[in-house]
Amino acid sequence: MNTYKIIEIKESVFSNNDRQADLLREELKNKKTFLLNLMSSPGSGKTTTVLRTIEALKDEMKIGVMEADIDSDVDASLVAKTGAKVIQLHTGGMCHLDADMTKQGIDALEADGLDLVILENVGNLVCPAEFDTGSSKNAMILSVPEGDDKPLKYPLMFSVVDVLLINKIDAMCIFDFDIEKVKERVKKLNPNIKVIPISAKTGEGFDEWIDWLKKEVKAWKE
Amino acid sequence: MHELGVIIEVVKYVEDFAKKNKLTKIDTLVLQIGELSAMIPRYIEACYPAAVDGTMLQDTKLKIEILPANAICKECSNVFNVIQNDKVCPNCKSEVWELLCGKEFMIKEIVAY
Ligand SMILES: Nc1nc2c(ncn2[C@@H]2O[C@H](COP(=O)(O)OP(=O)(O)OP(=O)(O)O)[C@@H](O)[C@H]2O)c(=O)[nH]1
Ligand SMILES: [Mg+2]
Ligand SMILES: [Zn+2]
Ligand SMILES: [Zn+2]
Repeated sequence: MNTYKIIEIKESVFSNNDRQADLLREELKNKKTFLLNLMSSPGSGKTTTVLRTIEALKDEMKIGVMEADIDSDVDASLVAKTGAKVIQLHTGGMCHLDADMTKQGIDALEADGLDLVILENVGNLVCPAEFDTGSSKNAMILSVPEGDDKPLKYPLMFSVVDVLLINKIDAMCIFDFDIEKVKERVKKLNPNIKVIPISAKTGEGFDEWIDWLKKEVKAWKE
Repeated sequence: MHELGVIIEVVKYVEDFAKKNKLTKIDTLVLQIGELSAMIPRYIEACYPAAVDGTMLQDTKLKIEILPANAICKECSNVFNVIQNDKVCPNCKSEVWELLCGKEFMIKEIVAY
């Protein structure tokens, strides 16, 4: 006697995440809170960029930050000094954030009334690209020392982001990094991507970046 | 290794599904994984016991089916495996193709009662 039956599910695991991401996006839209998902390799300058971005915008926007370092709160305590609201996400060693963890972060941050929340994703160019976090827009930082061949090695990441910040351009003379080549490579993968060269150290290029961000935040609230 | 987090989500989903459908025991869980998926079958198998520990799926067997990374050539419409052919159509040597499958990560079915 065999009472077992085969029950077809045919459910894409990512579509489950995609649904949660869409729900979170809708919730944030209603709250008029813009969520920026910031991705990059470790050490490309996410925290430095976040700090300077807060400095530039803190008089006109209420800003929150979610830090997803794997096992420390070094970055969170740096950001807290700016006066922005900040929480440390406990990723438990995970190499990426999914929509569910992002939602828990938004709840813990008590994001009501915030205009802009920046999510510093886990430093990794591979799987954060696979998981929609529920963000309004996705940004990526590629820093000059990492090399201009990264779009060839990590094509998915470059194809899911709305804006690419090329950071550490103050160090351009030491490395042979060809910005035009990067632009050409990423536009092939993602024709609508916006590429902005910056230095989070000197502030070069930040006018353009801050303009882009302000425009997007404004558009999100409409 | 991100497989653990993802597989925990899968287990939650299947537990929910079982509750909704009033299933009492799940014998086998069948996943389909594309060759180009970000999930590595070997790692999934390695972390599966930890993910099901203490859940309704504790004694559930795991079966993984691999879906090939097949593409159709835009020049000659030949269907070929992208990995085995180094991303080049073996028929006409074109590098312009469209992926048909291979990125999936699916819960295909469960064997239950
Ligand atoms: N020269 C130069 N150095 C920079 C720039 N931006 C960041 N750095 C330096 O790069 C190092 C890493 O910067 P972080 O901002 O901590 O980078 P991160 O991406 O947050 O790093 P993780 O969180 O550890 O992945 C620090 O020593 C920064 O001072 C830049 O524009 N130019
Ligand atoms: Mg950091
Ligand atoms: Zn991961
Ligand atoms: Zn062909």
